[in-house]
Amino acid sequence: MSDTKIKQIAPEEAAVFTADHCLSCTSCMSSCPVMEATKEYRGPKLVGPAHSRMHFSQEDEEDSLDFCSNCKSCDRACPSGVAVSTLNMLQRGEYYKTHAHSQRDEMLAHGEKMGKLVHSLPLGATCANIGMRIGKALGIFGLFGLAVERDMPSYAASTFKSLYKNISQKKSDKKVVFFPGCFINDNEPSVGEAMVKVMQVNGYEVLLDDKFCCCGSPMVVTGYIDEAKEHADRNVERILYWKNQGVPVVAACTSCSLMLKKEYEELFNEAKMKQAAANVYDLFEFLDILADKGELNTNFQSVSAKLTYHVPCHLKAQGFGVPAASILRDVPGVTVELADAGCCGMSGNYGFKGDKYDISMKIGEKLFSRIKEQAADSVICDCGTCRLQIRHGTQAKACHPVEILAKAY
Amino acid sequence: MRKARVVVIGGGATGVGILRDLSMRGVDALLVEKCDLVNGASSRYHGLLHSGGRYAVKDQEAAKECIIENQILRKIGKSCVEPTGGMFVRLDIDDPEYETAWVKGCADSGIEAKQISLDEAFAMEPLLSRHAVSAYLVPDAAIDGFRMSWQNVESAKRYGGRCLTYREAVGVLTENGKVTGVTLRNNITGDEETVECEMLVNAAGGWAGKVAKLAGLDVGVQPDKGTLLAFNQRLTSHVVNRLHKSSDGDIFVPHGSITILGTSSMSIPDPEDTSTSREEVENLLAIGEKTFEHLRDCRMLRSFAGSRPLYIPPGGEVGRSASRGFAIVDHKNDGLDGMMTIVGGKFTTYRLMAEKIVDQICAKFKVTTPCRTAEEPLVPEVAPEKKQAARQYFPAYGTDLAATRLGPERFDKVVERLEKDPESRELVCECENVTLAEVEEMAAEFSSFQINDIRRRTRIGMGTCQGNFCALRSAGVFAKYGKTPGAKDTLGRMKEFLQGRWKGIRPVLVGRTLRETEMTRALYELSFHVNGGEA
Repeated sequence: MSDTKIKQIAPEEAAVFTADHCLSCTSCMSSCPVMEATKEYRGPKLVGPAHSRMHFSQEDEEDSLDFCSNCKSCDRACPSGVAVSTLNMLQRGEYYKTHAHSQRDEMLAHGEKMGKLVHSLPLGATCANIGMRIGKALGIFGLFGLAVERDMPSYAASTFKSLYKNISQKKSDKKVVFFPGCFINDNEPSVGEAMVKVMQVNGYEVLLDDKFCCCGSPMVVTGYIDEAKEHADRNVERILYWKNQGVPVVAACTSCSLMLKKEYEELFNEAKMKQAAANVYDLFEFLDILADKGELNTNFQSVSAKLTYHVPCHLKAQGFGVPAASILRDVPGVTVELADAGCCGMSGNYGFKGDKYDISMKIGEKLFSRIKEQAADSVICDCGTCRLQIRHGTQAKACHPVEILAKAY
Repeated sequence: MRKARVVVIGGGATGVGILRDLSMRGVDALLVEKCDLVNGASSRYHGLLHSGGRYAVKDQEAAKECIIENQILRKIGKSCVEPTGGMFVRLDIDDPEYETAWVKGCADSGIEAKQISLDEAFAMEPLLSRHAVSAYLVPDAAIDGFRMSWQNVESAKRYGGRCLTYREAVGVLTENGKVTGVTLRNNITGDEETVECEMLVNAAGGWAGKVAKLAGLDVGVQPDKGTLLAFNQRLTSHVVNRLHKSSDGDIFVPHGSITILGTSSMSIPDPEDTSTSREEVENLLAIGEKTFEHLRDCRMLRSFAGSRPLYIPPGGEVGRSASRGFAIVDHKNDGLDGMMTIVGGKFTTYRLMAEKIVDQICAKFKVTTPCRTAEEPLVPEVAPEKKQAARQYFPAYGTDLAATRLGPERFDKVVERLEKDPESRELVCECENVTLAEVEEMAAEFSSFQINDIRRRTRIGMGTCQGNFCALRSAGVFAKYGKTPGAKDTLGRMKEFLQGRWKGIRPVLVGRTLRETEMTRALYELSFHVNGGEA
């Protein structure tokens, strides 16, 4: 396929052009969780927009670019709409075009491949989980540059995709395609099962599309930008296919939904990505739209649950409010208190990096203490890796809000 | 009493070129300038090193001079010239016959103009209007007037040349129809002094008429104001010229981190008038957006203006049709021996102008040393190994620019500061990537009388925020390291600096520039309360 045939977003509307909108006001620096945790990161303003003006001068790279976790707090803080973190990720991708990746990054970027391998073997998940425990005990993770303090997320016995086949759904004219993403598919399929249940109760049939692949988020943050582009192309093609069928795509991982809805077009600048984005919803965004139209099934059973809600950064970056809180508050017996404690520090695979572990935990301190204070029955959070961080940092139970909502039906 | 064989009045491109040439030929020379260097047309311009393409149809003599000087400056001025290359673009509204004449003119003048396909042009310049119908590459380049002028002075100093800034010529001393000296006023202290000399060279540009009057002479100079716009980003990677009959606002120059669009042409009575108006800005945008349709989406930093000193021989034309050529007037013919005026010309040909007048001066002095200004580099380059070793102390993308600004000796000193004191690696100017160490080094120069003087040497305050963050910081640094007593007046120096920024911002006070300025105002007037009075 010739690149020249691909319709690009007009240069003046491209994300890289937003560097020109920067007023140098420093809002991004004062809201950057990484900067608060370490002085080694020079900050979003200086690395993204300011450097975009200086690239002409010489071949060079920003040493502290590696510290950016792509949490997108800077994008949200920016009063001028600068795609700060995307400018950083593009620079990181550029850097790795001429520099070798570490084995650790190779591993962290390709969770999908690992998951596929593990689940293709008989008893693969069990063996892999035991293997990871042994590996951790032997300090092998540390040699790879992984955080020795953490457990790698354990694999579920069955993937969501295999479980899905056994779910008998009521047929319906109203359909959505579920984009499960790697983490729900390989590690926490219960989120997917709850999602199907909730959609069914609301009159929707949930489809799966085997042609979807990893959204690419783990690749973007580790600098595998070309590979992420291949994933974007494959996913966008499918999203547009479903768009033509009038079937929306719904994701229940906020990093996946952010990638599909916003980051593809920011990073890769193609008009088709913008079109595809309009057909993608995060799960609670979709339910909220149903609620607005009076179509949400509110025939809730009572569920006794005191909940602390940690709103993931990548949900905030999508700018649709916090509908999980308002929907769950309508469930009798449920109380939801927002943690309101900023970033958890995990940022996808960031907190798994050995040299970023301390930063990750320092960022999470505020959230951890808030969770301990609130002493809820469970913490809810729409992002899988945030949930890992919450469990790691507090020993609290953490689940996806849709798992609570599913209990109400 | 100071003495010099030749005193050159005017620290513009011509003056510094003459100082360098005289010094290299062993003629004792002193340059005096009433402000900081290049305060007139030599910095208040595009920063364009012409290929000559601009003059290929109308004035082939000028075109030929340009292409020759362009090649010389690329060679001798590696630390002030950025060889961006240039593009001439004809739009669908432009006369196709002009293109034919232009192609021929370039060929006749020895300017290589290579036609490229529109696809190539759009790939090189993505923001270019799709109304473009043909495009050519020419060897235009960008040249930094501030660096170029100081590097000429540095070069002259190696040969004994001297330079005094903020010294204004206020009187010419003569005896028996011959120049014997010049009276200078120190514009910082107000003190006056006399410098004895044999020869006075009036290279005062737009002020040449005024300087001639000091000796009772008459030189026809018409200040011709050109207004320019600076944009926050490099919108182009090449110098982009409209391929049509030369007109206002049709050249874009990528100048360091910014882009400069200009210029207009307007006769004004006083070269001191560097004001710009909203209307002039609007006119430039209206023309500029023909070449770059989305120009109004781009953030303007400021507008600025300078006056071309057009030489008007008795009965000559004024305005854009006036000659861009230069003239050397030996006032011996007016009855005053020992005074010459050089006026007109273009920045690109400053070296040639200097060579021509210095040839005449040397003939008078019976000095036979040939001109070598075209062969010897202005300043030595910082060695690549040194830059590489120092990279660890500089911010990313900051080493090469600092090296070209500082030159080898100062670079070493700055690197030493950076190495010894990690705090000095902090940025004073975040937009232009200037370290505390570099600002400290330049603040301590004897030529730094205001923060603006440090600005011109380092580029602090010339980027996105236009001094919002560096004004406060640099005032503190200047107070600590400045050699002039006025440096201690931090509030005064800071306000002076901010006012200078404000002058250029006011005419472009729309959109994001307005938001930026409101932030500056909130910071300095509300938070810092710099103007005192009621809150």
